[in-house]
Amino acid sequence: MKNITDSFLCLGSWPSAGSFVFNTDILATNPINLSVVLGLLVFFGKGVLRDLLDNRKQKIWKTIRNSEELQENAIEQLEKAQARLRKVETEADLFRVNGYSEIKREKLNLINSIYTTLEQLENYKNEAIDFEQQRVINQVRQRVLQQALQGALGTLNSCLNNELHLRTVSANIGMFGMMK
Amino acid sequence: MNVLLCSINTLKRLYDISAVEVGQHFYWQIGGFLVHAQVLITSWVVIAILLVSAILVIRNLQTIPTFGQNLFEYVLEFIRDVSKTQIGEEYGPWVPFIGTLFLFIFVSNWSGALLPWKIIQLPHGELAAPTNDINTTVALALLTSVAYFYAGLSKKGLAYFSKYIQPTPILLPINILEDFTKPLSLSFRLFGNILADELVVVVLVSLVPLVVPIPVMFLGLFTSGIQALIFATLAAAYIGESIEGHH
Repeated sequence: MKNITDSFLCLGSWPSAGSFVFNTDILATNPINLSVVLGLLVFFGKGVLRDLLDNRKQKIWKTIRNSEELQENAIEQLEKAQARLRKVETEADLFRVNGYSEIKREKLNLINSIYTTLEQLENYKNEAIDFEQQRVINQVRQRVLQQALQGALGTLNSCLNNELHLRTVSANIGMFGMMK
Repeated sequence: MNVLLCSINTLKRLYDISAVEVGQHFYWQIGGFLVHAQVLITSWVVIAILLVSAILVIRNLQTIPTFGQNLFEYVLEFIRDVSKTQIGEEYGPWVPFIGTLFLFIFVSNWSGALLPWKIIQLPHGELAAPTNDINTTVALALLTSVAYFYAGLSKKGLAYFSKYIQPTPILLPINILEDFTKPLSLSFRLFGNILADELVVVVLVSLVPLVVPIPVMFLGLFTSGIQALIFATLAAAYIGESIEGHH
């Protein structure tokens, strides 16, 4: 009995001495059923999987195209807005330049007109001064003349006699005669 | 002696036919640990599948995705949806974790159901889905536990523990128990479902090798996908639960 169990043990432990072996028993290793299962799985699974993945691909493609369109639209709008901004900026520049030149011109004009007015006023002033001077000179002259005449008249009235009268007349006649 | 050998051989053949091995493992010794090598091997294969497919897909990225990229983006959207509905507004940092759980479990389960692992015979045990082994599922469930504790603690600090006495302190034992039942239920659900799936298929194959197991295999595929989704959803739900505020 011990022999039998020993031999069993021996038989049982024999494979451990060997290593990996290929099992060629087709029925035990079951490759037929496995290949059938695998074939059916591929056959039915392929269609389902392909549909699923195609749908997914389509969705991705559509999403990408949509976002690309959106991006294009956004870029277009951005460009439009930039163009408008540029236009407005140039207009603003134009306005600014125009305004500056206008202001400068106005300033010049104003300065010129004030200058002319000032000159006129100066002229008026000078004229008035001249006039006043003339008037005063005339007055002084008149008074001096009057006084001289009065003095001469007094002198004549006080010391004029016949002889002197005659001499003077003759002297004056002589003077006139010489002047002739 | 001859008779004995003969009887032994027949016994062995019978044993082989009726052999649906459960609990047989191919052990490697790494350091002081005995590890289940078949789980490691299949996990590496799963990881390799995920990494290679991801690398192949991200090699040539397009704005309008091609087939592979489209599929991967769809999967990512799906995972993001799941995390968003379960976690709420702050789902962003948890998408990688939930996604890793979902993808690893899903690809593991489907590899168990679709790849002909049994062509390669191990000295002991057999290659199967990594989630067929309770160590894998327990590891995943414990990672989930750590994740939701970390989420709660980093969000609320020590105030996180106030949820144990809400709504009443009477529920304290139950609330503490929940922390243990959560990873337990997560790991056992996944492990049980996948193991049951594969066992049913193996038993059916050993009884009727052709055609009959096919519907069951499809059922297994369906269940595997659902289990991956359930695991990811529950992990996200636990994280969301520990993040959300009790106002």
